[in-house]
Amino acid sequence: MANINISCIAIIGKQNNPLFIKNFNPSHADLKYHYIAHTSCDVMEERATMKAQDMYLGVLFSMEDLSVYGYMTNTKIKFITVLTVPDVIIKDLDMKNIFRRIHAAYVNHASNPFYEIDSEKMIKSKKFEQEIEAIGRGRALEGGNRNSLPATAP
Amino acid sequence: MASNQAPVKLVNESAVEFLTTEMVEAMIRTIKDDAIRLGTDKDPSLGSPNDGTGGPKDYSEGDEAMEAVYYKLEMIGFRVGERLIEKISKDRMRFSDNLDVVKFVCKEVWMFLFKKQVDNLKTNHRGVYVLQDNSFRWFTRMAHDQSSAESVKKVTPYLWFPCGILRGILSNLGIASVVVAETSSLPACTFQIKIAKTA
Repeated sequence: MANINISCIAIIGKQNNPLFIKNFNPSHADLKYHYIAHTSCDVMEERATMKAQDMYLGVLFSMEDLSVYGYMTNTKIKFITVLTVPDVIIKDLDMKNIFRRIHAAYVNHASNPFYEIDSEKMIKSKKFEQEIEAIGRGRALEGGNRNSLPATAP
Repeated sequence: MASNQAPVKLVNESAVEFLTTEMVEAMIRTIKDDAIRLGTDKDPSLGSPNDGTGGPKDYSEGDEAMEAVYYKLEMIGFRVGERLIEKISKDRMRFSDNLDVVKFVCKEVWMFLFKKQVDNLKTNHRGVYVLQDNSFRWFTRMAHDQSSAESVKKVTPYLWFPCGILRGILSNLGIASVVVAETSSLPACTFQIKIAKTA
């Protein structure tokens, strides 16, 4: 399996409001990822009407050394993963796995009755952050079989 | 090949039935108590929930307190529905249109909640859908005399929670709707979903 270098995971809510942005690559400022997430909204809406069946939307666009992948759930929540472009080709299956894990983490968090689903506030939950952190750094779930990422700069 | 799926967690069905039944009772009891205490109970002739004669009273629909009960039960259902659809639709392909969504509700949601599918779905193709369940699971264990108007009225509050669930499901999928339920003969009941026309 290719070593995937995730730079950023972002989650955008139904009203195109940011819910969660996590930066794994210190070489780019957070603001840049906010900008990327913002531009992705339009692209995702467009792709979603084209690709009517699948939640996974594939590569949305790429800029400089980053490529952006999108995934929109049935409840209009959008997940964005930004990768630093690697040397090998990224398989769709790998990206779908990553998005599936993000989706599972989101569903677990949304099941919390104290979380307001349409509140427009960012997600503030330690457990959720830890899960996303684990996905971003490529650490295995129990029973999973992922390779771990090369160590990123502390 | 190692399975990396967590084992499915199940909930005891009787626990759920007790909870939903008692939830309605408790809601009526607490709100009626408050209304009587604050002197805003508009219709004291119906008696208070705790006057010892036992069982649900026949609360008239114009009653403010019952409207508060309706609002609360429906909102509880709404929030449950929102989360339910997140969980259920996780592994499902995107929905193609409103009819697809309603069919999904009739089959999969009903199967998930009530272990059976909706018995009859009618639509006027203009945004109104009627779901008919001939044996609503939460009513099957309620004592009743078949179609007496009294038992039909008593059962009405128990339908508000499922209405909320349906509205929550549709709302989180991006569909604004109004859900109304009625029952003419227990244990059958019908849910009417009115979907707002988009411009």
